Amino acid sequence: MNTKDRAKAVARAAEPFRALLGPSTTDDLLSWMRAELGDADALDRWVDRGGAKTKALAPDTILHVVSGNTPHGALQSLAGGLLLGSRNLVKLPRGGIIEVDAFVSNLPASLRTTVETAEELPAGWLAQADAVVIYGSDETVDHFRSIASPSQTFVGHGHKASVGIIWEDPAFASCDGAARDVSLYDQHGCLSPQVFYVREVQPGFAREYAGHLAAAMERFNRTHPRGPLRVEEKAAIANLRAAYRFRASGDLRVALWEGGPNMDWTVVYEEDAWFASSPLNRVIFVKPLPVDLPSSIGPALAHIGAVGLFPCTEELAGRFAALRPSRFCPVGRMQEPPWTWHNGGIPRLASLVKWVDFEP
Amino acid sequence: MQQDAADLETQVLSWIRGNRPANFHETVLRLHMFQFRHSAPYRAFCRQSGVGERAESWRQIPCLPQDAFKHADLRSFPVEQTMKTFRTSGTTGEGFGQHHFRTLEIYEAAAREGWRRADMPAGPFLVIAPHPGEAPHSSLSHMLGALAPRKDFIAHGGVIDIERLRSIKEPVCLLGTALGFLNLFEVMDKQGLSLTLPAGSSAMETGGYKGSGRNISRTDLYAMFGERLGIGPDDIYNEYGMTELSSQFYARGPQGLHRGPFWARAVVTDPVTLEEVAEGETGILLIYDAANVGSVVGIRTQDLAVKRGDAFALLGRDPAALPRGCSRAADEWMSR
Repeated sequence: MNTKDRAKAVARAAEPFRALLGPSTTDDLLSWMRAELGDADALDRWVDRGGAKTKALAPDTILHVVSGNTPHGALQSLAGGLLLGSRNLVKLPRGGIIEVDAFVSNLPASLRTTVETAEELPAGWLAQADAVVIYGSDETVDHFRSIASPSQTFVGHGHKASVGIIWEDPAFASCDGAARDVSLYDQHGCLSPQVFYVREVQPGFAREYAGHLAAAMERFNRTHPRGPLRVEEKAAIANLRAAYRFRASGDLRVALWEGGPNMDWTVVYEEDAWFASSPLNRVIFVKPLPVDLPSSIGPALAHIGAVGLFPCTEELAGRFAALRPSRFCPVGRMQEPPWTWHNGGIPRLASLVKWVDFEP
Repeated sequence: MQQDAADLETQVLSWIRGNRPANFHETVLRLHMFQFRHSAPYRAFCRQSGVGERAESWRQIPCLPQDAFKHADLRSFPVEQTMKTFRTSGTTGEGFGQHHFRTLEIYEAAAREGWRRADMPAGPFLVIAPHPGEAPHSSLSHMLGALAPRKDFIAHGGVIDIERLRSIKEPVCLLGTALGFLNLFEVMDKQGLSLTLPAGSSAMETGGYKGSGRNISRTDLYAMFGERLGIGPDDIYNEYGMTELSSQFYARGPQGLHRGPFWARAVVTDPVTLEEVAEGETGILLIYDAANVGSVVGIRTQDLAVKRGDAFALLGRDPAALPRGCSRAADEWMSR
């Protein structure tokens, strides 16, 4: 199978997951190859490189250790490995990821046999891998980095937190998109916003925005209810609500909107711009955009994944470049990274291949 | 008002010391009424929770979120009567909580009587934590100071007096934070030192690891006590306490359940309804502490626990809780 045939097969398998993965036609996948390797055929033939020629060499075997936060990361990682023509060993979280199983079952037999999945890491998988791709906590990434061999290509995707910035939205047009960004995957993904920073175009605007966002969270929840919560997740939300309810009763700089009898969603407005870490599961903070946002984000600055912007302009992306995310994107599309996204600032295909040059 | 406070303090103090019988239910209701009258933030919180000055039962009294100590002045007495303020160890940008006291007599009596009634080791002690003179805002240091004299504090300016440990000839009880003990073990490892303390020695450790980058199970920590100091796991106690409380809960051994004194009750509750969970179920820990005379009697902690009869098995902080804790403060102090 050449690259084009693999792209066709992966595109077919990805078709049912269009809502998750976005446009995934053969051309989309080949465009991704082209964007990262310079030529979509770079794995199949010598391609020109200055006066010489070069060819990409895919790793024979890739070990993907994927997290259960969202199916998206797992599917994109596996699809990349399949496009490269590698054998793919996929360590799933406990309980598996049903989307991964369905995706694999959609592949033609010739590709399906190149994928093995397991919920416990089988002995020997790490040693068999030429490349190791890890999604998970910083501790998980550090663990695998410490046991991987120096000869293995290692790509780690650790903790990330995302934020949204509402620069100008007098009609609150971004609220439904913002609610979607927060609510999809119950906020478990690295692209899920935890705080929306809202520019105070007039005094009290950020607080007003929080109220509109709360209404949008409720609208989204009616059609897309939140998943079940474990007791510790319930406790985290209940404690946060109790603490902010107390503060809101005597402090106008704080406000709380609580959705549903089952802690469906929570919006906290807080004048203090210091980055607040959400307990997730649809708990979102709204804060006025400070003059010096990087300082307010503090230690979380090293972990910023995506920054949603409204409106999404290059000028605004430039203004907030110091946040150093791997992605600026429109509010409402934070959960839909394109195939070409440099996750963690890393080209996901190019980081795995090696090159052989031919000098005639 | 001052007379009210003094009467209440005297009553609680006598009760804790065993000099005067009292009823938990009635005492806590009286404390709630006093605090409702004299603390505006507490009064607002109670009203928001639908509870007035007179509650029908102690379980009806709403428990204030622990976090509230960071954001409100929860004194039930005039500011000028403040004798002491303990601070939580704020390790994030959120600042620290403050627990104010009009008198420390009750706090100290609760520490000593709580220790005695929990059948804890009688001493002598060696304390691996800052003395109250070095950490005046640490409630833990003050509590340890209520148990042990100054000469038994063997960590000064962040340096542990290893020679004092080596020279022990009689059974001793070591007191400190889990992180403080880890520091001690690291120092001992660097010096290639391991000791077998005299038979009958014991230890009490407290505090978690959040924010420290370390995470060691109680079983593993207690094994280290055995390897480095020769103290068996059943001779090691864990203390559960916090700046926002005046009383402590103790558990013996790695699997031990926490129990408190008769003037403090722990209730494991459903996070949403705050109803007590069934036996063996997990929930949020609420503490009613009658030694909290000048602040707030009911505290909603950020810890999860499993209900085990009249005791609880501590699971620890929920994921939303911020990295802080007495243990962290002492660790930073000792690492300087």
